[in-house]
Amino acid sequence: MSSGNVPGSGTGGGGGPCGACKFLRRKCVAGCVFAPYFDSEQGAAHFAAVHKVFGASNVSKLLLHIPPNKRLDTVITICYEAQSRLRDPIYGCVAHIFNLQQQVVNLQQELSYLQAHLAAMELPTPPPLQPQQILVPVSQAILDLPPIPAAYDLSAVCGDVVAPQSAWSVYPRQQIEQRQFSNNATPAAVGVGGGCDLQELARELLNRHAPPIVGCMNQASSLPPNSS
Amino acid sequence: MNSSRCAACKHLRRRCPSDCIFAPYFPSNNPRRFAYVHKIFGASNVGKILQDLPVSYRGEAANTLCYEAYCRIKDPVYGCAGIVDQLNEQLKVAEYQLATIKAAITTTLQPSYLLDQSLHML
Repeated sequence: MSSGNVPGSGTGGGGGPCGACKFLRRKCVAGCVFAPYFDSEQGAAHFAAVHKVFGASNVSKLLLHIPPNKRLDTVITICYEAQSRLRDPIYGCVAHIFNLQQQVVNLQQELSYLQAHLAAMELPTPPPLQPQQILVPVSQAILDLPPIPAAYDLSAVCGDVVAPQSAWSVYPRQQIEQRQFSNNATPAAVGVGGGCDLQELARELLNRHAPPIVGCMNQASSLPPNSS
Repeated sequence: MNSSRCAACKHLRRRCPSDCIFAPYFPSNNPRRFAYVHKIFGASNVGKILQDLPVSYRGEAANTLCYEAYCRIKDPVYGCAGIVDQLNEQLKVAEYQLATIKAAITTTLQPSYLLDQSLHML
């Protein structure tokens, strides 16, 4: 975690109030839990956001329950969430999560599509990717969290926060493969030939560049169809 | 006036008025939902956030607040930001894998490669 955006350390009790105590207009005592993380200049502004969203008391309790060596990270993430929530009162930082999740799903779909085509071309595959890396489901940590069934559709979220089945893993591999092998499948951007069929391209190149050998032509023509 | 209190008013041990800001989004059959947001954000802050939004957006806001609160309870240090980090990592891995596959496809479609393959088929 970068601490670049976190205000420098404030002072507690000695050289003036920290940003939090300055904002709260209270005496900054020695050992103030906020002082190391909210300086008296920029810290006040950052703390204002945190206080508006979470409340000073809640943040104080949270920090006190966390080991000191983890508190800086906690403050950074709390500031991030607070500012996200102020910018977007409806979705807060969850909008960013949705966006990233969608990007991951899109890329995984594209990977699956290309892998299926590679396999269908019966060509030697590239250095094998570990199966568990290819369509890695969303982190197990996320699977433990309440499901978010569809982008921006949280009506079911937190209905049961200990959901046994997470919808984060929205596109299991089997579903993707079935979709991609259908005639009506619309592949994701392939980036090779602008989405043209790779087998057809392979056949064309074979016919164009290889000598007219019957065995080769038969092999080429026996390439499996692009859809099953 | 509601004959039964919403989860928020039950938690706060108060009467649940007919225009309770929490009642539509924190039903009494799911007390944990409000407990989480109360623990992290506080009832007052949640009420202010909801109050400042048009009614049509309050449901979504309540859900995302629940989600954030739950993430923070589950991971007190990183909360939702931890999930953002994980997803960024997954994105990097997926992008790398995609680049690898595309490079492999480009290689296998090279004429010299295809010619070599066709010769091996003899």
